[in-house]
Amino acid sequence: MPTLIDDTIAAIATPKGKSGIGVIRLSGGDARRIVEAVCGCRGNGLRDRTTRLRSIRCPKTGEVLDQAMVTYFRAPRSFTAEDVVEIGCHGSPVVLEAVMAALLEAGARMATPGEFTLRAFLRGRIDLVQAEAIRDLIEAKTLFQARVARQQAEGSLSRRVKPIKELLVRLISLLEAGIDFADDDVPVLAEEAIRDQLQPVIAALQELEVGFGRGRLLSGGITVAVVGRTNVGKSTLFNTLLRQERAIVNERPGTTRDVVAEDAHLGGIPVRWLDTAGIRSSTDPVERIGIDKTREVLADADRLLLVLDGSAEHTEEDRRLLEELKQQACCLVINKIDLPQRLSGERLGDIEAPVVRVSALTGEGVESLRQVLLEDLGQGEAVEQGGSLVTNLRQQERIGEALRALRRAAGAVEQGLPHEVILLDLHAGLRALNQLTGETGIEDILGRIFQTFCVGK
Amino acid sequence: MGSGTFQDHDVVVIGGGHAGVEAAVAAARMGLDTALYTMNADLIAQMSCNPAIGGIAKGHLVRELDAMGGVMGEVIDRTGIQFRMLNRSRGPAVWSPRAQADKQRYRVAMRRLLEGEARLGIKQAEVVEIVRENGRVCGVELADGRRVGARAVVLTTGTFLNGLIHIGERKSAAGRSGESPSVPLAESIKGMGFSWGRMKTGTPPRLDGRTIDFGLAEEQKGDKDPTPFSFRTNRIDQPQVSCFIAYSNQRTHQVVRDNLNRSPLYSGRIQSIGPRYCPSFEDKVVKFPERPRHQIFLEPEGLGTNEIYINGLSTSMPPDVQMEMVRSIRGLEQAELIRPGYAIEYDYVDPRELFPSLQTKRVAGLFHAGQINGTTGYEEAACQGLMAGINAARWVKGEDPVVLGRDEAYIGILIDDLVTKGTDEPYRMFTSRAEFRLQLRIDNADRRLTPLGGELGLIGRRDLENYEAKQQRMQKLRAVLMELRIPVGSGRISAREALKRTEFRIGQLLSELPGTLRQELSAEELRSVETEIKYEGYLRQQKADIEKIRRSSARALPADFEYGNIAGLSREIVEKLSRIRPVTIGQASRIPGVTPAALAIIHVHLEIDRRKR
Repeated sequence: MPTLIDDTIAAIATPKGKSGIGVIRLSGGDARRIVEAVCGCRGNGLRDRTTRLRSIRCPKTGEVLDQAMVTYFRAPRSFTAEDVVEIGCHGSPVVLEAVMAALLEAGARMATPGEFTLRAFLRGRIDLVQAEAIRDLIEAKTLFQARVARQQAEGSLSRRVKPIKELLVRLISLLEAGIDFADDDVPVLAEEAIRDQLQPVIAALQELEVGFGRGRLLSGGITVAVVGRTNVGKSTLFNTLLRQERAIVNERPGTTRDVVAEDAHLGGIPVRWLDTAGIRSSTDPVERIGIDKTREVLADADRLLLVLDGSAEHTEEDRRLLEELKQQACCLVINKIDLPQRLSGERLGDIEAPVVRVSALTGEGVESLRQVLLEDLGQGEAVEQGGSLVTNLRQQERIGEALRALRRAAGAVEQGLPHEVILLDLHAGLRALNQLTGETGIEDILGRIFQTFCVGK
Repeated sequence: MGSGTFQDHDVVVIGGGHAGVEAAVAAARMGLDTALYTMNADLIAQMSCNPAIGGIAKGHLVRELDAMGGVMGEVIDRTGIQFRMLNRSRGPAVWSPRAQADKQRYRVAMRRLLEGEARLGIKQAEVVEIVRENGRVCGVELADGRRVGARAVVLTTGTFLNGLIHIGERKSAAGRSGESPSVPLAESIKGMGFSWGRMKTGTPPRLDGRTIDFGLAEEQKGDKDPTPFSFRTNRIDQPQVSCFIAYSNQRTHQVVRDNLNRSPLYSGRIQSIGPRYCPSFEDKVVKFPERPRHQIFLEPEGLGTNEIYINGLSTSMPPDVQMEMVRSIRGLEQAELIRPGYAIEYDYVDPRELFPSLQTKRVAGLFHAGQINGTTGYEEAACQGLMAGINAARWVKGEDPVVLGRDEAYIGILIDDLVTKGTDEPYRMFTSRAEFRLQLRIDNADRRLTPLGGELGLIGRRDLENYEAKQQRMQKLRAVLMELRIPVGSGRISAREALKRTEFRIGQLLSELPGTLRQELSAEELRSVETEIKYEGYLRQQKADIEKIRRSSARALPADFEYGNIAGLSREIVEKLSRIRPVTIGQASRIPGVTPAALAIIHVHLEIDRRKR
């Protein structure tokens, strides 16, 4: 497909990261219609060069995503000389991303690097001197983009999409063979068979789409809270995991009064570690604050590490913590295995989370803990650093596009439409997936047909 | 008369095969003095392989060719001996006509048609060289030393360039069985610096029909009501004959396996690439060992002969092995070979040497069409011949070339694929190559292409009037369907709405149509309108996509554009673009490996260049 220079593009225009306000910009003939669709401004549309306060809603669920300042610049009096809409949202990356997703759902396309400027140039908004500077910029960006694309093609998502695409390509090949080689003794797939082969593709893509929630979590950074009763060695564990002295380590219970936060990476994933005060009933007012704070943090944390002391008997408080948190904990850590062990296994009851035995002091077992954590975070899905927000959304857009096309195809099967009509949507789905994994073209499909069927006279 | 030339023409066509005849007729009908040079004037339009025209996607090509004013369709309509509409149980976009031909009658009818063209001369002589002056074609040289002047030359050499036939261990230089190859011409072409390669194709043995027990094979009849290929044919009147289906068996396959070392394909004597979709029987046995049998079609070569073409048994085994293979098949136990099957290797020129007009980039005024471009099939050849003939004529007249889009015709797809991607095996058309398959139907080929054919002067006045009248009939039908109300459930909806339902067919409405209209409309016209209505949503979506792509891909790329000066392009992309020299951004975008980012940069450079000028 050629670069389309007539569709409507959207991108986050402010720098990445948390800031007070984040701006999303759209440019193209449909910019106004798309924004009106997500604002639901029926009968009260956007006016040229006027800013309005609008609720941005998810077009699928109707849920309000943000209150935003929306400004419309009618062509040609705009930056790109096309219709442009700017949306000033709250600056949180999560909000920006949700609004972007809504715009894409409503028909916008994620802009490629430099594309706004490119349009401004092509529509004569920029003079030749500026243009030549921009050319250099785009050339540089293209090289960067090529690198990103390569990373993406070799990346983990691509690895996950490939087997799904494989199923789709197989189905397409069978249907195409049934059309082009009908005179050659090639079987024509029954409706039932098409359905049976299409369903797993849709299901797998759906799973991927859901997984994106998690993928986003990873790219934005996740929070891991270390919890346990006092004096089980949480802070030592925390320090060992982070390999640096940050939290205060002290034998006296309750030293860690507040929540200590530390940003670090775990296997390339940005992780915010929270070292909590222990949870126990306390009458000490200062300690109470710490404990309340802990409960608050626990509610927000993405992952919980529950720490027990292997060298001590199971206490009433351990029991209560286990009871309270065993659903949430992603891992149960038995610490202090360098000391004689007195905690009996059966006291732990039936806990689903993996149990890892470590000595925070000597470092024994800490590596396996790291592995367990990584596995739980789905290291395989970890998104590469830098620009991951955009990369991620772009991928999500493609998966969504593929899903929409394949669902239309499934609908066409139900209606009993001819195969060439079903194939229209199957090919659209394949095109979307091609952008994540590299091209599977007609030659590959024909190749597969010739491998599968003995066609030709 | 030019200096030293024996005769001068506007257009010289070299080769009298399916590409050559279309090119010659088109150029002549466009008003140019045209000569068709062939090595044997008796074998013009010879069907050197199977005795059939059309088939899935190929039938589409013939319809389109005909709609533009080509001649293959009307000649097969007059000489076909069995017509079948393939894929009739499928959707209307993939219906495709096929006909068995009476080979000899086809050839004779085509020759007569050529003789009827006032500005076209048929010449028997071997061309040995393309004569150039300042990078432009100025004529051809014949084997006897004569020179013929030409302002444009269309080269349609088929399998003749350095043709080499293999039968078992024996090989012989030949253009086709029993005909000499073109060796000096091949050297002349290579001498011009074209990048070229070698391809291979094959053909099955022919049997004496009197020695076949057809009672042991399955009969395959033609359609009761044959559908013509040509929009200008009203009815097929000639008698229809049957084909027969036989099956190979384990014994046949064992014969192949036992003699593989004697097959030039497996002994290493043939290195060139053959078509995967037209495999030799040796390939079928080796690549699909689990198949207990393969279909073998017994097709008559004509009404005036007993010769039977064994479709599906293409082989280059030695004759004794071919005989053993044939006789292992039920019904063929006593069969006698009239001629053995063979494999043929020949030179082709990389079609990326061509502009989309089919003119070569190296030599102005020289056009290539047919197998020389790496294609296979009479239909593919004919379509290229037509376009090369049209564009040669326009070149002589100083007019812009005619290039069909991928969204307009399979012909457009065929040529775009060839000149953009090249091919390393004989290229054949499939409907799956069409991105906009629903638009490219056999029922609307005339609507897509006849107005253009008329403009070019390829379609007579009366035929154009008939076309117009047909459009008016269909328009009337559309209007009636809009007005007509049909009871559905408790309410009434327009017939047009009702037709959008999968289960509702136009046949159910016939009694509701005004009597005169009903009598005027043909079944195909009814079906065409019905299809448009049923697919309306899809067609509209596709039209929108086509428009979008067209707007962003129409921008022309200058022939002298320096891709090497663009910093953001990878070396691989620069290399490809510099070699293929796409004519538009759209063509560039279809070159494998050219990324959207690369196109964006090219866009910017183009715009900067434009403003500097």
